[in-house]
Amino acid sequence: MFVVESSLAPATRPDRDDLAVDRVPDDGTGTVDQVQGAVLAPGPGRWASLPRWVGRTAVPYLYLAPAIALLVIFTYRPLVQAFELSTYSWNLLPSSPMKPVGTGNYERLLDLPAFRDSLWRTVVLIVGLIPFTVLLPAALALAGRRVSPRARTVYQAFIFTPFLVAPVAAAAVWRWLLHPGGGAVDQVLRSDRNWVYDTDTAQGVIIVITGWQLLGFAVLVVWAGLAGISPDYDEAARVDGASPGQIRRWITLPLLAPTLMFLILTTVLLTPTLTFPLIDSMTQGGPSQSTTNIYYLLWDYAFHSFDAGLSAAAGVLLFLGFGAVAGLLVWISERLSFHDD
Amino acid sequence: MTIDRLRGLGSHLLLAGTALLCAFPIYWLFATSLRRPSDVMSLSPIPWPLSVDNYTDAARKVDVAQLIANTFAVALLSASAQLLIALLASYAFAMYTFPLQRVLYLGFVGIWLVPFQVTMLPNYVLLNRLGLIDTLVGVALPTLCSALAVLLMRQHMAAFPKELVAAAKIDGRSSWSILWTVVVPNLRPALAALAILLFINSWNEYFWPAVVMRRSNGVLQLGLRSFMGTEGDDWGPMMALAGLACLPVLVLYLLLQRHIVNAFVRSGLK
Repeated sequence: MFVVESSLAPATRPDRDDLAVDRVPDDGTGTVDQVQGAVLAPGPGRWASLPRWVGRTAVPYLYLAPAIALLVIFTYRPLVQAFELSTYSWNLLPSSPMKPVGTGNYERLLDLPAFRDSLWRTVVLIVGLIPFTVLLPAALALAGRRVSPRARTVYQAFIFTPFLVAPVAAAAVWRWLLHPGGGAVDQVLRSDRNWVYDTDTAQGVIIVITGWQLLGFAVLVVWAGLAGISPDYDEAARVDGASPGQIRRWITLPLLAPTLMFLILTTVLLTPTLTFPLIDSMTQGGPSQSTTNIYYLLWDYAFHSFDAGLSAAAGVLLFLGFGAVAGLLVWISERLSFHDD
Repeated sequence: MTIDRLRGLGSHLLLAGTALLCAFPIYWLFATSLRRPSDVMSLSPIPWPLSVDNYTDAARKVDVAQLIANTFAVALLSASAQLLIALLASYAFAMYTFPLQRVLYLGFVGIWLVPFQVTMLPNYVLLNRLGLIDTLVGVALPTLCSALAVLLMRQHMAAFPKELVAAAKIDGRSSWSILWTVVVPNLRPALAALAILLFINSWNEYFWPAVVMRRSNGVLQLGLRSFMGTEGDDWGPMMALAGLACLPVLVLYLLLQRHIVNAFVRSGLK
């Protein structure tokens, strides 16, 4: 789905982790097997019961088997195959032969202006989403601290709802709102602009709809991040004579930085999932490619141009780029995070 | 004091304004769908007189009941399989220590780094070979292992009191019976919250249906997409169909709001 189990999470909320430890007293006998080992300490008879020992060792793997099998079949096998496929020329028809072309697909891809353009559009898309997934949520969460919990819950409920709207339904209602002439937006603005089919605004429309869907989730995450910051810091600063503005700028925001970095990472990782249905059902990458980002380009090469090799090559580059960006963000956020334990 | 009150007022304005802007498109979707077909273009905030003509019109054009049944079946199959598979896997991760544990765990985390657009072609070829293209099973199959479910379940299991498990072991019960008679009954609230979250995700899933259902429009999301293509600007029935596509999830949200929000927050932070 949409979320990351990231190594940032523990660093994000050090005091939260302490809480978890408080709740679950961990005395070092953390696992069942260790507990059992203490009770039935295997003596010299251990080798006699070798089959039983093997049986017991196999148990965790048996529990994991279905999940691992699916993981390998539907994620890691295809990933390896994508590397392989990227060195062939093939039109997806089972009957037609696959021609090995070496690095031909990559050379072709890097020469294509469409590829470079789509990469640039992906960057614009992600940067355009940051206000919705980081800046506005931070402002809203800080504002949420000044209102009563009851009011906050009500606001939160409304802001979160778009996250649950089916993506195609979101595309449908926004197309209706933005319908040239008759839609609510144009009627209010007294314009007949065709927002969705205008090369100047189409990408902006995709950004706004995606931002609308993600905003509520991001606010929840920032809110939880704020709740994890111990009020002791604020109190200490207040005692030292800091103003509320100073506390926000020099205490709260730095402590919140890992959460905000986590949101940037989430934005990067979620864009392929969230924008695809919108683009596929609203613009099909148009008008004149203005909404074709790298994720849609892959789809286009595979299922519209039937160029499997080219799509796989773009997929491989995307995967490597994705890994590099995610690694960089994790690295930055680890440097940013503040350990108070 | 006054400055504080002013700040509070500003916060209320910011939050209320955002809340209104966020909710408006959803309200407008349902408002339009409930207008009389002749009033569809109207800007009056309240749809009056109410009418279900748009819904009956949509039902005439596409087999709505079939679409809902199919979507429901896929979401139910996918969510329950995800829950069961994640339950077993997280049990192994939380209750045992074994060689390669860390590597296997990272294997699940690593899923986030593989966008589905990268794996879609080989998976499409595989499903094609299995004869599952254009079938509902083909839509559900690639989604059955949810890394999110595994990671969240592991969190809950790790927090589970180990003394209970150890006591059951001393009683001589097998790990399988401990899972079902000790762990599952105690984790029921967490399992329920996760089940709802997985159901919502499966219900809204678009990508696999779009890949697998090449020739038919078997689920609501695709039915709606093809409706947008063929019926052009027939906004009333389109909003009715879009409304139906969101309704089950929104009703769940209305009933279980706090639990759903908590489940999503947990999923984002852990």
